[in-house]
Amino acid sequence: MNQPSTKRTSRATVAAGTDGNRGANRRQFLKTAGATAFGVPLIITSSALGSADRPAASDRIVMAGIGIGNMGRGDQGAFLGRNDVQYVAMCDVREANREESKARIDGRYQNKDCKTYNDFRELLARPDIDAVHVATPDHWHAVLVIEACRHGKDVYCQKPETLTLREGPLMIAAARRYGRIVSGGSQRVLGDYRHLVDPAWAGELGTIRSINVNVGPLPQLCNLPEEEMVEKIDWNMWLGPAPWGPYNSKRCSGSYSINGASWRSFFDYSGGGMTDWGAHHFGGATFICNVRELQPVEVVYNDTADGQWLDYRYPNGLTIHHNKPGSGNLEIVGTPGEQLAPKPVPMYKGSGGIYGDFIHCVKTRETPFRDIERAVNTCVLAHLGNIAYQLKRSLKWDAAAQQFVGDEEANRMVDRGRREPWQL
Amino acid sequence: MLDQAFEALKTYDYGTPISELQGIEDAMVAAHADPAVRQDLEQHLIAALGSDISRDAKDYVCRKLAGIGTPAAVPALSKLLPIEANSHLARHALERIPGPEALAALATAAKELSGKLKIGAIGSLGARGDSSSVATLASLLNDADPAVARSAAMSLGLIGGSEATAVLQSAIQTGTGDKDSLIDALLECAESLVRSKQTVEAKVIYESLSGDQQPRLIRLAATRGLLACGARTAAS
Repeated sequence: MNQPSTKRTSRATVAAGTDGNRGANRRQFLKTAGATAFGVPLIITSSALGSADRPAASDRIVMAGIGIGNMGRGDQGAFLGRNDVQYVAMCDVREANREESKARIDGRYQNKDCKTYNDFRELLARPDIDAVHVATPDHWHAVLVIEACRHGKDVYCQKPETLTLREGPLMIAAARRYGRIVSGGSQRVLGDYRHLVDPAWAGELGTIRSINVNVGPLPQLCNLPEEEMVEKIDWNMWLGPAPWGPYNSKRCSGSYSINGASWRSFFDYSGGGMTDWGAHHFGGATFICNVRELQPVEVVYNDTADGQWLDYRYPNGLTIHHNKPGSGNLEIVGTPGEQLAPKPVPMYKGSGGIYGDFIHCVKTRETPFRDIERAVNTCVLAHLGNIAYQLKRSLKWDAAAQQFVGDEEANRMVDRGRREPWQL
Repeated sequence: MLDQAFEALKTYDYGTPISELQGIEDAMVAAHADPAVRQDLEQHLIAALGSDISRDAKDYVCRKLAGIGTPAAVPALSKLLPIEANSHLARHALERIPGPEALAALATAAKELSGKLKIGAIGSLGARGDSSSVATLASLLNDADPAVARSAAMSLGLIGGSEATAVLQSAIQTGTGDKDSLIDALLECAESLVRSKQTVEAKVIYESLSGDQQPRLIRLAATRGLLACGARTAAS
C-alpha cells in the first residue's frame, strides 16, 4: 500500500507532543478533525475533561496495538486498564482478532470509536497516536519498530525483540535518531528473578564467575503442507518479510508451543525456544550479573559425552553457560567469602509493572527498564547460541563491528534477506 | 548420505520430513573444515537448482547456497531473480555470496526488474552495504514508482558514507524522490559519518535539517545529531 500523505504531519505533530507540548497538539488535532472533517462544533465530553482519577484527554497517552493475538491481548489489557492511556486503534491481519479487540476496547470506553486496521502503515500514519505496542510474531518486530520510530511513535515491543543480529543495531539507531522511547517486553526479567538479583546487587555473592541458563530448543525449518484456510487472515501480510510458505494453522498459531505447533517453533519467524524463553532467562542472567549493557566476545561450543552446551565469555571475565550439564537454570557461581559494595537495584519507574514503566518513560522521556539496547543485548545471546549450535563450532564476536571474527560463514548468518517489498 | 539426500531433494515438497535432507545439513557443517566437501556440495546444490524440483526444494537449496555459495553459484541464482516464487530466497543467497559477481547480479535485477521484485533487489543492494551500488540506486530515486524511489533512498541510507550522502543531498535539493525517505536516509548517512569520525561532514547534514522549514521531529533529530557531533569532537 502507498504511504498515506499525512506521514510528515504525523512526524511533526507527535514529536511536538512528546517533547512537552503534547496536549496542545492533540487538542489542535481534535479541533481540526471536528471542524474540518465533519463541519460540526466540537463536543467536549465529561470523559474528555477527566476526573479525580482520570487525566483529561489531552494528558492521556494515545495508544494503539499491532498484533493482538495471545501476547498482544495481554499487553492490550494492561494498557487498556490504565487511566492515563487512551487506546484508540488496533491492527491485526486476522479478522477475528480485529472484531474481538474492537469490542473489548469499545466496551472499555462505552463508545464505538476504536478503529481497526489490517495494514499497520495506515495506523502508523495517524497523527493522534503517541505510542504503539507490538506483539506480532518476531519476524515483523524490526520492520514495525523502525517504521514506528520513523513516524514519531514510542514503542513497547514484545520479546524476543529481534529475529537476527543485524536487526538490533538498526532498531536502536532508529530509536535514538528520532528520540523515541522503545521498551522491550519481558516482564519476567525483574518479576521472576528478584530473589537472585537482590543478593547479587547487594554484593553478597562476591564477584560472580558464572551463571547457567537452561533454555531451548533451537528453531526448526518449517515445511508444513498447505491446509485449507478456515480463518479470515491476510496471509501475505502475516508472512510479511519472511519467506513465502503455504498456509498451515500450526505455521501461524500463536500458541506457546516451541516444539512444532506454533510459529515460535520455526526459524523463519522465531529463534525457537532459545529466543522465546531465552529473552527472559538470558535477560535475567545478564541483569543478575549486571552485564545488560554488554555483549559477549566469544561463544564456546562444547561437544561432550553429556551433550552440547555453550560458554559465553564476557570482556569483564564473566561466563554465561548455556545448558551446562548438571547445572540448574540461573545457577550462580560467585566468590564465597567476598563481600562487594552494594549497588541499588534498578527498578521499574511509575506504577503498573513493565507497562507502567513504559508509560512513565513516554511521559518523562526517561530510559525504560528494558530499553531497546538492553533488549537487543539479551537477544544477541540467543542468536549467537543458535548460530554456534547450527555451525557446531566456537565463534568470536566483535560487538563493536557486529561481526564474527574470522568466520565468513557465520557472518552470513548475521541477517536474512527480507521478502519483497519489505526492508529495514 | 549426501547422494541420498540429493535424491530425496528431487521429490522434496511441503510436508516431506526434513530429516530426509540430513545428509545436506551434515555436509554444510563439514564444509567449513574441508574445501573439497564445500566445493562438491556447492556443485550438487547448483545442479539441483537447475533441475525440475519443487518451489520448496529450490527455496531449501537457496538457503544452503546462502551459507556456502561462491561466485560459481551466481549464474544459477540470478536466473531465479525474475521469478516471483523464487526471487526472495535467491536474493537471500546473493546478498551473502562475496565478490563482485553477486553484487552485479543484484544491480542488474534492480535496474531491469519491475514492481516488488525490483524493490527486493534494491533492498538487497542496501543490505550488502557496498558503496559501488550508489550510482545504481541514485538512478532509481526518481523512478515513476514511488515505492521504488522510497526503497532506493532507504538502501542509500543503509550504505551510508560520503558518496551516498552527496546523492541524497542533491535529490533533496532538486525535489527528486520521496522526501521523507530521503531525509531519513540522510540522517542515517550522517550517523555513519559520525561513526567514522567525519563529524564536519555530518554537521553539515544536521545543520541543513535543523531549519524551521523542517518538521519538528526532523529538527529534533538534527539537534540530537549536532550534539553527537559535539560529543565526538570533544572526545577526540
